[in-house]
Amino acid sequence: MDSKQIADMVIAEIRETVPELADQPISPEDSMAELGVDSIERSEVILSTMEKLGLKIPMVQLHGPKNIGELAELLFNKSAG
Amino acid sequence: MTVAVTGIGVACGLGHGKTAFRKGLYEAPDIFSCLTREGRGPAEGEPPFIGVEMPEPSEVLAPRLARTASFSGRVALSVLQEAWQDGGLDDIDPERIGLVVGGSNLMSREQALAARDYSARLAYVPPRHAHMFLDTDICGLCASTFKIRGFAYSLGAASASGAVALIQAREAIRSGRVDVCIALGALQDLSAYDLHAMRSLGAMGSMRFSEQPGQACRPMDAARDGFIYGEACAALVLCRQDLAAAGKTYGRIAGVGLAVDGARGPEPNSAGQVRAAMTALVEAGLSASDIDYVNGHATGTPAGDDAECETYRTLGLEEARINATKSILGHGLSAAGAIETAAVFIQMKEGLLHPTRNLEKPLDSRFNWVRSEPAVHDIRRALKLSFGFGGMDAALVLEAPDSGGHTS
Repeated sequence: MDSKQIADMVIAEIRETVPELADQPISPEDSMAELGVDSIERSEVILSTMEKLGLKIPMVQLHGPKNIGELAELLFNKSAG
Repeated sequence: MTVAVTGIGVACGLGHGKTAFRKGLYEAPDIFSCLTREGRGPAEGEPPFIGVEMPEPSEVLAPRLARTASFSGRVALSVLQEAWQDGGLDDIDPERIGLVVGGSNLMSREQALAARDYSARLAYVPPRHAHMFLDTDICGLCASTFKIRGFAYSLGAASASGAVALIQAREAIRSGRVDVCIALGALQDLSAYDLHAMRSLGAMGSMRFSEQPGQACRPMDAARDGFIYGEACAALVLCRQDLAAAGKTYGRIAGVGLAVDGARGPEPNSAGQVRAAMTALVEAGLSASDIDYVNGHATGTPAGDDAECETYRTLGLEEARINATKSILGHGLSAAGAIETAAVFIQMKEGLLHPTRNLEKPLDSRFNWVRSEPAVHDIRRALKLSFGFGGMDAALVLEAPDSGGHTS
């Protein structure tokens, strides 16, 4: 599992959580907020991805990433660590 | 100040909307069967629960919101949409519109399913669950979808919740807080846990009719055996009579009564029921002999129907026509008082009373029951009763639009 695969997982969760984005191209450079994913939906996306990764860390440790790629990188580092 | 009803939306096992409701009330088809919605299965080795489940509602919400809303919430929105359009509320100042949602612990089935699914992985509980199982989430869904900006809250009065929502909505108009108030009897989405407890309590119908579900729900009949659950939801738009468009009202709520028995559990109390009814009659400036139609609580529990017949006798309602809407819909619990009040106004408009299913041997033959066939009847002044566990007694006097004014 690398950060690229994790980014794909995040994008799949976004499409699941916001069905309106199902057919819209989404790349790791996009930010969830700019895609219109609201804060509760962002939490849902992140929690679902964490569960798929078997990752249990407080959500506050995941603040900071500016886009999906950076989030995936952070999740990858937390999983590896 | 007179308060009129200007909009109605309904959902139940007969279908969604007033057209299906009206047709179903008069044709009284057998819609009872074994409950199959996920989370309502019986304990191993026990027969399934009998009741009524409604078809899927039309979806008011966009998909991203619909997936976060409870079944009770989605049905409430569908019903409110119908009532909203019927009442023409797009033209009303949103800050002069209020909402009272009747019912408590409304989403216990879905909450039980969530507890089942997440109990072994609590770290991943969806954040949305912090608010989506609150009864007030229905207020939030309704007010974020329709322009309601006066106030919104939910209240609980067990199976009298729908009627008490009507009472409080009317009060909000009479106090001047708003000009229009929606009373919504929300769908009580029972879980298997609730169903088992109701069966164990002896309140819900036993297994006597498990081979003939259509026979199980028999309010006011000698062979009644307990209430039978039926999913339901209804919204009524209440409006200051002087602001309602001429000729566009279903009728008015002329008097209301609310009493508490001082009993904790399910046991009924005729004295409390009579007090509630008398309060409503006095406020309406009427006596029981002025009532020409009674839509009772009439759940089909052995003790409940006995107490209610005693109430009819004490009040002297021998001249009035009486039927039991639950015989067709089942017991909507939190929604019952609202959808049955909707049934009164529909019958008032049609000049026709719906039949009472399974009323083969009425408990008290002195009353003027509507039995297996609809009955032509010009309802002028109706009494609607709703009771709930915890000794809740609610009564409403409902008058036809042109039945002469009352002042208060």
